[in-house]
Amino acid sequence: MKHILRSLAVAGATLVAAVGSSLSAAELNLFAWSEYVPQAVLDKFTEETGIKVNYETYDSNEEMLSKLVGGAEYDLVQPSEYVIEVMVKRGMLAPIDFAAVPNFKNLDKAYLNLPHDPEQKFSIPYMVGSVGIVVNTEKVKEPVKGYADLFSGKHAGRIVTLDDNRELLTWAFYFTGQDLNTINKDTMAKARPVLAKWLPQIKIFDSASPKTALLNGEVDLGIVWSGEAAILFQEDKKFQYVLPTEGAHLFIDSLAMPKDAPHKKEAHAFLNFILRPDISVLISADFPYTNPNVEARKLLTPEQLENPASYPAAEDAKRLHTFRDIGRAAAEIDKMITDLRGGS
Amino acid sequence: MAGTIVATDTPAAGGRKPPGRAGWLLLAPLLAWLACFVVAPTAILFAYSFCQRDELGFVVWEFSWENYARIADPVYLKIFGRSLWYAGLTTVLCLLIGYPVAYYIARAPASRRPTLLMLLMIPFWISFLLRTYAWISLLKADGLVSATLEMLHLIPEPLEILYKPAAVLIGLVYTYLPFMILPIYTSAEKIENSLIEASMNLGAGPWRTLAHVILPLTKPGIFAGVLLVFVPSIGMFAVNDLMGGGKVDMIGNVIQNQFGQARDWPFGAALGITFLALFVISFWFLHDRGEVKRT
Amino acid sequence: METMVELRGVTKRFGAFTAVDSVDLQIRQGEFMTFLGPSGCGKTTLLRLISGFETATAGRVLIGGRDVTDVPPYKRDVNQVFQSYAIFPHLNVADNVAFGLRMRNVPAAERAKRVGEALELVSLQGLEKRRPHELSGGQRQRVALARAIVCRPQVLLLDEPLSALDAKLRHSMQFELKNLQRQLGITFIFVTHDQEEALIMSDRIAVINKGRIEQLGDATQIYHAPATAFTADFIGEANLLKSQVVYRNGILARVRLTEGVELAVKKETLQDSTSQALLSVRPEKIYITKTKPAKENAFKGTIEEEVFRGAMDELRIRIGGTPAANGSHTGLSLMAMVPNESSHERSWHKGDTVYCTIHTDDIVVVEQKA
Repeated sequence: MKHILRSLAVAGATLVAAVGSSLSAAELNLFAWSEYVPQAVLDKFTEETGIKVNYETYDSNEEMLSKLVGGAEYDLVQPSEYVIEVMVKRGMLAPIDFAAVPNFKNLDKAYLNLPHDPEQKFSIPYMVGSVGIVVNTEKVKEPVKGYADLFSGKHAGRIVTLDDNRELLTWAFYFTGQDLNTINKDTMAKARPVLAKWLPQIKIFDSASPKTALLNGEVDLGIVWSGEAAILFQEDKKFQYVLPTEGAHLFIDSLAMPKDAPHKKEAHAFLNFILRPDISVLISADFPYTNPNVEARKLLTPEQLENPASYPAAEDAKRLHTFRDIGRAAAEIDKMITDLRGGS
Repeated sequence: MAGTIVATDTPAAGGRKPPGRAGWLLLAPLLAWLACFVVAPTAILFAYSFCQRDELGFVVWEFSWENYARIADPVYLKIFGRSLWYAGLTTVLCLLIGYPVAYYIARAPASRRPTLLMLLMIPFWISFLLRTYAWISLLKADGLVSATLEMLHLIPEPLEILYKPAAVLIGLVYTYLPFMILPIYTSAEKIENSLIEASMNLGAGPWRTLAHVILPLTKPGIFAGVLLVFVPSIGMFAVNDLMGGGKVDMIGNVIQNQFGQARDWPFGAALGITFLALFVISFWFLHDRGEVKRT
Repeated sequence: METMVELRGVTKRFGAFTAVDSVDLQIRQGEFMTFLGPSGCGKTTLLRLISGFETATAGRVLIGGRDVTDVPPYKRDVNQVFQSYAIFPHLNVADNVAFGLRMRNVPAAERAKRVGEALELVSLQGLEKRRPHELSGGQRQRVALARAIVCRPQVLLLDEPLSALDAKLRHSMQFELKNLQRQLGITFIFVTHDQEEALIMSDRIAVINKGRIEQLGDATQIYHAPATAFTADFIGEANLLKSQVVYRNGILARVRLTEGVELAVKKETLQDSTSQALLSVRPEKIYITKTKPAKENAFKGTIEEEVFRGAMDELRIRIGGTPAANGSHTGLSLMAMVPNESSHERSWHKGDTVYCTIHTDDIVVVEQKA
């Protein structure tokens, strides 16, 4: 009888231990853009650290924001620069303990301490890119240097652009020589007639995969994400990427930690992990945006580095600017573009 | 003389017993489902529609009519108008194409009907996006449709139809056609053959039989089909984005934008509620007229 | 009398199945003609060939002297009362009745007048605005009738119109229909499987079996002089008796039914070469007595069973033969009808010995062979 009781107690203790360990088992809830984090990177992380990664994806910053506001608990999210600004202002992010992320030193200083996170306390750049012009040089012989050339009227009906109202407005702002983050009635009024002339020239609005229309020949020019342009260039050198002379949007997709992240330790481990040069190159291989990791760039092939969409010339890069949060103006932009497109 | 004997049997009323209290229990899961997933979200949407958006795009609980006032802006009214126009056109085309198909299937021998219905359903096994992309590759300038017509010398140059309103219309009609066919099929199948024979026997040719017997008897199916096509096609945005190149903005795109890029949930909610109100009003209108005619 | 509907060698095949097999028939103006037969015999197909819902595989259909074989139903001057009534559920009573007139573009005023008359004829005045689902079965039947006669067709076709009504209503409708037909003077072609209905209403009956007309004649001919075993058996009840010719002279012939039972039959009903004949005797034509009557064609039997059938009692009488070991009998069993008896004075009991008498006039030869 005693014997039985003792074995029961042992079994019970084992059970409690097992449950306890599974509760505290190391895991990480990652909420990131779809098609932006290679599965190989996640597998390798788990293999090395034993931390299980729960990878959930979203298709827009807004989707991510509303899930967070709704109370979902994630350890890392992947907002674009102007969204970081919103989240910081709202107090939604936890500061990062940079002591736990020694690989942070690998990052290019050019992408740090920018206006959306001036003290670089809350975010770590993941990938960087621009929004520029792609030209099928087999079909278009005359040079296209900027928005003025693109929308000269010669290429009407042969253009694909992103389907994003703020981006559309930004191009007109550059064209009219206005600051892309100063959005008010006056600046918008100046941009309006420009867009009224441009929008009817666009054949397709598509944010998800603008490269498709270029690849299958529906259109010959486009304003697209640099990553899409880099893939086009890999496919065929005839697709040349041009950073508009008037200026272009630089976007910085970063990783950040929500205030209530339940696994902060694991989050820091992951941040340090992906900043390792040998890991970072894996991301570049799948998603040929600009890698902000200087050490990782040293490991890239010459071909990757020579892709002008991924790594534009230094003097071109000077014309790039990041987005700031624009508050209520987003609704005004939406109304204006809706109106102009409604007329098309 | 004829008729000296008066019929004494009683009207053939359906002697169905109304369900007792236990009957409601059977409905409980459905009611709970409706409460959770229809009533509650609609209530939230309704509440949101009177709220404000703060600087950062978050909802602020502060009462205001402003969102509804904004809808009255010509920018949005124009889009509402266009959505109604496209949805109306889609509905008419679906009806013109779907009615004969539904009628044909309903009057086909009973043994062949399941096969015909199955053919109608098979495309639903494939994802909507995939089917839409298939249409894109069919309709694009060097696609199958254009190439075939060119080869047959029916058109002088590649067909520029994709990313034009016509492509959106094709996409909408294709997407919603089964929703027109199925309810019409259901009501056409119920028409007894003898009613059609009676009509012909009384001197009505095929067209007059259609107008005076078949159409009136399939009215419930037409009504259901029109609702099932018209309402969702007003709110459709995926087809417009993919096949219209994002250029044929409909109210669905505008609403989608408010919950996305514009981050203006209260305005999106107000648009949604307006859309819902339009639907409810038109439903009542159609329904009441149907009732009035019947009595 | 003028011929209204004529079928000339009409055949209708559905695939390998022959529903109507080269039928020739002339139906007279103002006649009440009934197609009578079991289900699947082809009577409804025959009707549909006249209404135009089926097209003859071979042969011609004429209505009022016009060849309508290839004329679609909506151009034929016939109207039909359907078995299911086929009342348009979306129209009220008046609109249902007016349907045919509207299709013939009859002006509204005349339409209203004729609809009123038709509804009066079938006693449905006051129900003009009723919807079909608010009507009883009998009322719907009347609407169907009014809708068909309002067009004043040359021929009215009725496809088992009474089969859905209860027995009492059916019986009264039979008389009503007959009266209506006399009143209107139009040709009625009535399809039924109910022989009693056929006998009550018809001027002539075409008994139909396997796509052919088995016998054509008026009610009494069909009943009293069935030409075939099928007709004898299908119409009313009949004892069908196998017999062998044992003797014949100038006036009479004698046939043997079973060991020791012989009947005298009229000589002229048998062909000279006949050696075997099938006889039909109606049960009510067998006279039952307790004592042996001094008549020919009387023979002894035993009451096997007595069945109460309302107005009549049915007796099963065993003639000749001996009981076999397995409980069956040799010899033959006759069915006879006697007026029913009140329970306190019964004259017939199971097991009684009785005498059956059959008059030679009541013996009909329905089949014979050498």
